[in-house]
Amino acid sequence: MSNQKRRNFQIEAFKHRVVVDPKYADKTWKILEHAIHEIYNHNASGLSFEELYRNAYNMVLHKFGDKLYSGLVTTMTVHLQEISKSIEAAQGSLFLEELNRKWNDHNKALQMIRDILMYMDRTYIPSTLKTPVHELGMNLWRDNIVHSSKIRTRLLNMLLELVLRERTGEVINRGLTRNLIKMLMDLGCSVYEEDFERPFLEVSSEFYWGESQKFIECCDCGDYLKKAERRLNEEMERVTHYLDAKSEKKIISVVEEEMITNHMMGLIHMENSGLVNMLLDDKFVDLGRMYDLFCRVPNGLLRIREVMTSHIRDTGKQLVSDPERLKDPVEFVQRLLDERDKYDNIITLSFNNDKTFQNALNSSFEYFINLNPRSPEFISLFVDEKLRKGLKGVSEEDVEIILDKVMMLFRYLQEKDVFEKYYKQHLAKRLLSGKTVSDDAERSLIVKLKTECGYQFTSKLEGMFTDMKTSQDTMQGFYASHPQLDDGPTLTVQVLTTGSWPTQPSVTCNLPAEMSTLCEKFRAYYLGTHTGRRLSWQTNMGTADIKAIFGKCQKHELNVSTYQMCVLMLFNNADRLNYKDIEQATEIPASDLKRCLQSMACVKGKNVLRKEPMSKDIWEDDAFFVNDKFTSKFYKVKIGTVVAQKESEPEKQETRQRVEEDRKPQIEAAIVRIMKSRRQLDHNNIIAEVTKQLQLRFLANPTEIKKRIESLIERDFLERDDTDRKLYRYLA
Amino acid sequence: MGIQKDRVRFNVGGRLFETTAETLANAGRNSIFGAMFDENWTVQTDNSSEYFIDRNPDCFSILLDLLRTGELYIPVDIPEKLLYREALFYGLLAHVRSSKWGPFDGNRLQLSRSITGQAPGDGTAIRAGPDGGCCVAHGSMVHVYDWMLDEHAPITLDYQRVNDVGWIDSQSIVISVCERLGRGDGGMGLFSSSTGELRHKFQVNHDNQVKSFTAGALSFSSDCKIFSSCKGRSNEYGIGVWDQVTGKQIDFFYEPLGWSLGDADKLQWLHGSNCLLVASLFPRKDNCYISLLDFRDKKMAWSWSDIGAPTTVDEKRVRDAIAMEENSSICVVNEYEDLGFMDFRNTAGSIRWSSRSRLMKWKMPDEPCYPKLALHEGQLFSSMNDSISVFCGPDWVLTSRLGRSYGGSICDFSIGGDRLFALHSEENVFDIWETPPPPII
Repeated sequence: MSNQKRRNFQIEAFKHRVVVDPKYADKTWKILEHAIHEIYNHNASGLSFEELYRNAYNMVLHKFGDKLYSGLVTTMTVHLQEISKSIEAAQGSLFLEELNRKWNDHNKALQMIRDILMYMDRTYIPSTLKTPVHELGMNLWRDNIVHSSKIRTRLLNMLLELVLRERTGEVINRGLTRNLIKMLMDLGCSVYEEDFERPFLEVSSEFYWGESQKFIECCDCGDYLKKAERRLNEEMERVTHYLDAKSEKKIISVVEEEMITNHMMGLIHMENSGLVNMLLDDKFVDLGRMYDLFCRVPNGLLRIREVMTSHIRDTGKQLVSDPERLKDPVEFVQRLLDERDKYDNIITLSFNNDKTFQNALNSSFEYFINLNPRSPEFISLFVDEKLRKGLKGVSEEDVEIILDKVMMLFRYLQEKDVFEKYYKQHLAKRLLSGKTVSDDAERSLIVKLKTECGYQFTSKLEGMFTDMKTSQDTMQGFYASHPQLDDGPTLTVQVLTTGSWPTQPSVTCNLPAEMSTLCEKFRAYYLGTHTGRRLSWQTNMGTADIKAIFGKCQKHELNVSTYQMCVLMLFNNADRLNYKDIEQATEIPASDLKRCLQSMACVKGKNVLRKEPMSKDIWEDDAFFVNDKFTSKFYKVKIGTVVAQKESEPEKQETRQRVEEDRKPQIEAAIVRIMKSRRQLDHNNIIAEVTKQLQLRFLANPTEIKKRIESLIERDFLERDDTDRKLYRYLA
Repeated sequence: MGIQKDRVRFNVGGRLFETTAETLANAGRNSIFGAMFDENWTVQTDNSSEYFIDRNPDCFSILLDLLRTGELYIPVDIPEKLLYREALFYGLLAHVRSSKWGPFDGNRLQLSRSITGQAPGDGTAIRAGPDGGCCVAHGSMVHVYDWMLDEHAPITLDYQRVNDVGWIDSQSIVISVCERLGRGDGGMGLFSSSTGELRHKFQVNHDNQVKSFTAGALSFSSDCKIFSSCKGRSNEYGIGVWDQVTGKQIDFFYEPLGWSLGDADKLQWLHGSNCLLVASLFPRKDNCYISLLDFRDKKMAWSWSDIGAPTTVDEKRVRDAIAMEENSSICVVNEYEDLGFMDFRNTAGSIRWSSRSRLMKWKMPDEPCYPKLALHEGQLFSSMNDSISVFCGPDWVLTSRLGRSYGGSICDFSIGGDRLFALHSEENVFDIWETPPPPII
């Protein structure tokens, strides 16, 4: 226990023995008293330390400790009262200097008195639980000087005035201020707190209340924050210069309360310069300052986050619902990526990479991206564009960065299976037309999808790559075993596994005789090596390179689709063909045929055919000729098919329908999995569980889940409870 | 220190000494030399430039050597008390104290003294103080000794039988005594170790009424709390907690049904786990109950009892227990000084008796004393009959045995202030064991 603690116990008065020689004690005390006077009067040079020490020792030894101690208290009190008067008499600013000087004198005197009375301090004081000499000197100074009615308020007011003057920009005597505040600290925590700290905090609170009112009226948000930050730094500096370190927390919290907490909403929503404006204008420094300041106060960051979130949601919503934007999917996705980069930057540069802000950003994106049902399609189109040509000449790292960003958007999608559908279609086109820029990039994206959604998600996509590779080998094998085929047309077959590819059941058209014999040979070869398989031709997906001579000597190589090739080959044997003739000879489905004829007869620069009568569309009674006047700067001419890059409305419906169809077995599988482990479950819980299980792929529609449950009940996988109709039971 | 020249000459009681300022600096500021050569003081020298001190030159010479070498040699012709008095004058008593014996090591202990007292009854407890003193409880009296082994005024609380004693600091001792029926006497008191004055009497409040009680085993925590087992007239069975600063009761852990707290033989505050070990043992109770109390949520964090254990293992009755926080285990000892261990992280633990069991079947002394345990800086001590065994290492290997044939069995011992005190049940004598100062080379 410290001395302070021990004083809580009751002390009995010291009863000393009969004094043998009262004069001895008085005489000795007179010597010591005289010495104390001399010490206070700066006249100690004539004193003998050894003699005084010995006298004090003897007094304690001869049981005159209490006389010595009470004498010390009285003598010191008398001196301090004199000192008090001389300090009170000091005028104006001299007051503080006089107080400081006398304090230093007192400390020195106290040290010397303690030296003389060291023996008493060591033996008499602990055993009688009296206050040790140094502490006694402090207490007497406190009671006689600092707590004297004529000094106490004057000291406080002068100290507070010094602080105020420094706050308003004046230079003050920091050394003197520090010494006096240090004096209060030396007198004990409670003295410092009562006689300085508490009033100081009150005055500061008032000061900053007023100042913040003034600033909020005349400054914009950025300026205000700058000023608040400067004030905080000033106060911290003040603490290190002349206050107790323990005050830092308290004064800082006063400034925070007055300058930030009280004006939080006003600052965030400040007209023309508030948070939204800072976000719009990418004011990283101001945003960073706002973050730093607001994170000091309760709920500060929460407010920033709320406003940022609603701003991102609003702008995002506008972005995804703007019909202008929907016209160009690539631009649409690029805008999303730009928006994300912008906020990513703000969070990194200004918001200290705060996780909660990242989460807010993610949830906002998730919210508005899914507002537009076409987002999955557009993202896939964006990838398609990038993988077709956009990545040409881009370094590997940059490709990775772009892909990672796309994955970021992909993560936000609720309907990941819709994305998968489109991705598969686009990938199939890229692979079959050999249009992909980089195999590595393709594979890298598939790996990313795999890590994100699991093996199941990408198994078919990977199957497509395998098919491509196997086909290459098969073709090599085919030509190796048929060396006589070198002269005729070259056939390249890509054998696609049913199910892995987005094939539509389509009618095979009639191929030109040369080609169909070759195809038959391949069929025989393939089925010979792979027994038990079925091979059907997807003529709607193929391409062909054919050589053509226009007029006398216009030689060109035409890159066309299989359908186009079939049509063109007919003209080897005829000059003029009617639409009906062509349709009959090729058996190409009418819509495809029209499109294919349109692309060859109506597109400027690619019009290898002529049509009668001339018009933009194909009619059933049109007639077609070879365009002898066809010219082109290039030897190789690519004749595209007229296709909309974006899906048309009916196509969209179809894709949608197929997605819905695909979801059914997945929902059923999830229901059965859950019920198998739970045995019985009520309706609401089953909906919740199924939604949770499937949310990595898509957001299951509760009505659809309900339909699936009913279907499973019909097929005797589940049954309803007899009493509680909302309860389902699993039937093994 | 403001000494200008390096050499200093003293005239002590007529004899001349010459030393250096550096040597005197070893005395520190809180000594006469520290003050004397402070710049505040203009040192008065005689014309011969000597400093005169009116003290015993022989003792000065010993103390000057102490300042020079840090070691203390007292010639046989100088009474120790005289030297201590001189050291106190110069402010060098702490120097003398710390050079008299070395830092504690259970394997290097030497018997330094035996003190014989006049108490009529058997010894109850001995407790080492923080600075090398001790107090000994005999019947209703507690005798207090400072580190110089001078006896101070004995302590007593209403002349009631003392159950336990403890040092709060070198100035204050708490004693717990039995209550006296109907008088409100007894309980627990705080005393000055130097004067023996009663400074505070602790109270137990139950339903806002002050109750008289019997205070049992004591323990102190580093955050200024006092724990004591309490038995009151009615419901006040359990562990009381008081604040050392205010002396007020701040908590009470009531004894749960079918358990024992109020009769505890031993309390031990575990600083790291923030709980209190309470052990009620045979033969005070028919069964042994050991528990760790968590006062924050008023629950037993861990407990063990031998209720229901087969009676055939009678020789394995726990007689003392001590918690070893570093190993998260509780060590127990039976009447044959077999050590057993329990892990207090497992709730359903049983005692793992050490295979070291000696199956000691030698003749028990007429007045057997039950074994006691103590732990000090990784060394485990266990008293048995007239000797104390020291165990070290992770497997608690027996490394030393402190024994002395005089005084009968050891009924209690205590370690503190770098000393070990052993109290014998007969002859009213206690021994002081110290580690000698480090060797010269």
